[in-house]
Amino acid sequence: MINALPPAVILIVGALLIPLLKGRMKQAWMLLLPIASFVNLLSIPPGSHWSFSFLGYELVLGQLDRLSLIFGYIFHLIAFITNLYALHVEDRVQNIAGLAYAGAALGVIFAGDFFTLFVFWELLTICATFLVLARRTPEAFGAGFRYFMVHVAGGLCLLAGILLHVQQTGSVAVTFLGLNGLASYLIFIGVGVNCAWPLLHTWLTDAYPASTVTGTIYLSAFTTKAAVYLLARSFAGTDALIWIGAVMAGFPIFYAVIENDLRRVLAYSLINQVGFMVVGIGIGTELAVNGAVAHAFNDILFKGLLFMTMGAVLYRTGKINATDLGGLYKSMPWTCAFCIVGAASISAFPLFSGFVSKSMVMEAAAHDNLRLVWFVLLFASAGVFHHAGIKIPFFAFYSHDSGLRCKEAPRHMLLAMGLTAFLCIFIGSFPQYLYRLLPYATDYQPYTVSHVVAQTQLLFFSALAFTLLLLSGIYPAEIRSVNVDADWVYRKGGRLFYSLSDRIFNGLNNWGDRIFVRGIPGALARFFADPGANLQKAGARLTSGSSRDLAAIDAAIERRSRLGAYPVGIGVLLAVLCLSVMSFIFFW
Amino acid sequence: MSHEGRHDHPEEERMILAHDPVPGYRPVFTVIFALSCLYLAYVLFTTL
Repeated sequence: MINALPPAVILIVGALLIPLLKGRMKQAWMLLLPIASFVNLLSIPPGSHWSFSFLGYELVLGQLDRLSLIFGYIFHLIAFITNLYALHVEDRVQNIAGLAYAGAALGVIFAGDFFTLFVFWELLTICATFLVLARRTPEAFGAGFRYFMVHVAGGLCLLAGILLHVQQTGSVAVTFLGLNGLASYLIFIGVGVNCAWPLLHTWLTDAYPASTVTGTIYLSAFTTKAAVYLLARSFAGTDALIWIGAVMAGFPIFYAVIENDLRRVLAYSLINQVGFMVVGIGIGTELAVNGAVAHAFNDILFKGLLFMTMGAVLYRTGKINATDLGGLYKSMPWTCAFCIVGAASISAFPLFSGFVSKSMVMEAAAHDNLRLVWFVLLFASAGVFHHAGIKIPFFAFYSHDSGLRCKEAPRHMLLAMGLTAFLCIFIGSFPQYLYRLLPYATDYQPYTVSHVVAQTQLLFFSALAFTLLLLSGIYPAEIRSVNVDADWVYRKGGRLFYSLSDRIFNGLNNWGDRIFVRGIPGALARFFADPGANLQKAGARLTSGSSRDLAAIDAAIERRSRLGAYPVGIGVLLAVLCLSVMSFIFFW
Repeated sequence: MSHEGRHDHPEEERMILAHDPVPGYRPVFTVIFALSCLYLAYVLFTTL
């Protein structure tokens, strides 16, 4: 028996108490909660805790080992930093959704069974949706709705996989699965949606830039990293992940270069960085998994820092497009400096955090002779320096002078950015502190001459290429536009599906209506209004020669019908018909 | 002044930010590009 609470409880329950607080009390509460939750986590020994039986299955609310713990540490850290950054936010929807979102992420990574994991997985989706909707613009409502739909579809896929897995194995434990049947494929794809795999990624670049200034910081930290955790837990060493990750690392570069919205550039960059993690997990060696986890840890910090700096720009100027910004280093020097630290970290400059984790993944790829993958990662490294390392700070703070003059970011935002920037430099300079937390013990040394020289050359040539392209006018212009991404397939495909469904199913419905509602019943009703007369008319049509005779015969039949005087033969025929139908029904 | 991400003056926003070539860039571009290619070729041949 331990005197601690399940890791997710403090943040989720604490978030629900926020409506009771306001002003400084609320601010203090929001800062205190991640600290209290972190202290609670430190007091829990490794192992499985809070087990109980549910429908005959053993549910485990807390499974602590080195893999889950490192994610737990960084989730607490970024929750604290983001709450500090968001101290000015009075909107309770954002306050509650942000904290509950962090709590749900903790619930996912510490869940010892798939049922518990699924509940927190869906809570992640709900909280993230509210963080997008909280901006309350038409674009945010649309993006939030799309985010919700995509993640519900992914969640259903995951649930179907979990149920099949439980039915086949009888186990609900969150453990290694591998790809070995329909259940594992469904779980794999369900996780892939949250991981923003190629073609499943458009929710990320759609929703993250549409969220609020602070909401985007929360969003960048949890959903994709929780998915990375689950991949590391259940699918480490799965070859398919190597290629999925390589594509993830490569394709966003092209979109990020031509994108005008700087927060969307960072969203593409997020997919690119998650690609490195997915490759590492796919390789599956101790070095590769360590690299993937270390990169997830660092990415949460430096990507959070970059989103924070762009959020501060948006907060102060109301603008985020490269076409509208520029020259802000004069007005926001600190924010500019922190942005450059984030840019150097994501670009893997020596002495910055990205260098000590990205090189682990690339080294692992080289060890396994994955030459093509290694080259893709190298290209992705150059690309990320170009779009996140140079483009973001250059177009926001330098480039042409937009004429915007504003105040520096508020003090609490600067403090949050400063703390994150410090951690980026600290981890980059003293990586052994991070390495001690990794799932596997390692003596990896990133600061070898060959590593440093190779990376410095890569960065130098990338910067040179950018400079030459810019000065020669070849660099693509920043244009306010909508760039077509894979969501085109959903949008056009969805419309085509709707149109085809409309034609096929509504056509069938109309046809059925014409035949079975209006056609046959109408004809029967007309016939049975006076069956005797109608039978006689039909008989007359079969036997009569001319239409003139027919008119006279019809008139005679109708006259007899009004008088109720039918020939005996007609009465007999009707009786035989009626008996035949009844016999058919009875004996069939 | 601060904004929670709302664009208050859409009419003032630029549609395009082009990058015009700097006069006299061509010889500099050619020399640096050639040197870079030579260096990369040297690195490639020494590592193969």
